[in-house]
Amino acid sequence: MKKIFVVLICLPISAKDLYITRSGSVSFYSHTIIEDIIAVNKQTSCILDLETGSLAFQVPIRGFVFPNALMQEHFNESYMESHKFPRSTFKGNIENWLELDLGPDPKDVLVNGILTIHGVSREISESGTIAIVSNGVNGLATFEVAPSDFGIEIPKIVRNNIARSIQITVNVKLKQK
Amino acid sequence: MNRIFLFFYLITANIFPQDELLDFLGEEPLVPFPVQATFKSTRIVNAQSLELPRAKTLEFMIQHRFGKMKNGFYDLFGMDEATVHYDLKYAFNKRLAFGLGRSSWKKTYDLMIKWKMMRQMEGKGKAFPLTAVFFSNIGINALKKDNVYKEKFSNRIHYIQQLILGRKFNEIFSIQFSPTWIHKNLVTTNEDQHDLFSTVLGGRIKFAKHYTLTGDISFPFGNRSEDYKNGWGIGLNIETGGHVFQLILTNARGGYEGAYIEDAKGSLDTGDIFLGFNITRVFIL
Repeated sequence: MKKIFVVLICLPISAKDLYITRSGSVSFYSHTIIEDIIAVNKQTSCILDLETGSLAFQVPIRGFVFPNALMQEHFNESYMESHKFPRSTFKGNIENWLELDLGPDPKDVLVNGILTIHGVSREISESGTIAIVSNGVNGLATFEVAPSDFGIEIPKIVRNNIARSIQITVNVKLKQK
Repeated sequence: MNRIFLFFYLITANIFPQDELLDFLGEEPLVPFPVQATFKSTRIVNAQSLELPRAKTLEFMIQHRFGKMKNGFYDLFGMDEATVHYDLKYAFNKRLAFGLGRSSWKKTYDLMIKWKMMRQMEGKGKAFPLTAVFFSNIGINALKKDNVYKEKFSNRIHYIQQLILGRKFNEIFSIQFSPTWIHKNLVTTNEDQHDLFSTVLGGRIKFAKHYTLTGDISFPFGNRSEDYKNGWGIGLNIETGGHVFQLILTNARGGYEGAYIEDAKGSLDTGDIFLGFNITRVFIL
């Protein structure tokens, strides 16, 4: 009886198999006939619970770096309003986590959860890949997001310069906590 | 009993709620970043703001001042006349910019450098409360030779050194003040001083997306002649993409530093004030 109790006290720590990064990459790509806009954020935090397959992302909006400073300023000030909504988050689960047979080769997975951008939360379900490698877990996903779904207003004057649907690429390399 | 306990334990221990995962990541951004857009233009109204052109950006600015408003409708509130200052500025990086300008007021050419010494920072660890900019300008008067100027070329020159200290408090409100030293190689009367010290106060209120109100005013240190007026200006700033348009009311006729700080002659009482505008166009190189 005593032994079991000791084991139980120790369990919570080992049971939570957390993998984390603070320097994941999220980039977006907007393609129109007039111009292509690419911005990269290398300050993305991500955490994955290997036990349950639940995961969370946090992206500081000001961390997006644009090729030109004027665009970056407008992105923060006018479109994303990063002073009001400094972070975008995602929290969700990887579908059928316990049945997945993961290994060093990237495996297709489906991620369901709630994406919050610009203060607006929406349920999303997107596919990505996961690989378990010797020093951690690698995750990769590409999906599309429409600014209008998240209450992001794009002024008429630049409406033709910014795509209706923006491609987001997420690339994280998680290490054991 | 033990089994039941174990069963419940395993169920609860294995569910790490997603919200908790998010909390686990913490709220603060880890990397500090410089505060952006304290002002939208490199000038508040007349005065230099603490902003430089953005890195690797060429900026062309037209400062247009109409004539005195006091003649009313006869010359359409001064719009029949104009003084203009053009300048072209280039920023090598986020901290250093160089510029050339020319004003029709006293036919003055000017050369300037602007150096952002310290940047207001937000973020964990490295937060810093204000921005400090050093601004230096040489003005060369190119009026035709007369009794005053025929002697020496150096008589045409004046220098301005300014330390601009400012802070963006929030999205709405920014303020700055600039201790200023102006040296004139030549003064017109014996009472006039070669070295003039003053401070310029400026601020902005953003009242809507793309719209701000700005104002600046200069205060002298030490004595000035009787006809001295504090140079002031108020502006409505409209930002559209790569342009900033500033609609202005001021008592200074010339847009360059020597003119608006120590050579503002207008006054509200007499209606010697000027409408004008600044237009900034940005070219990304």
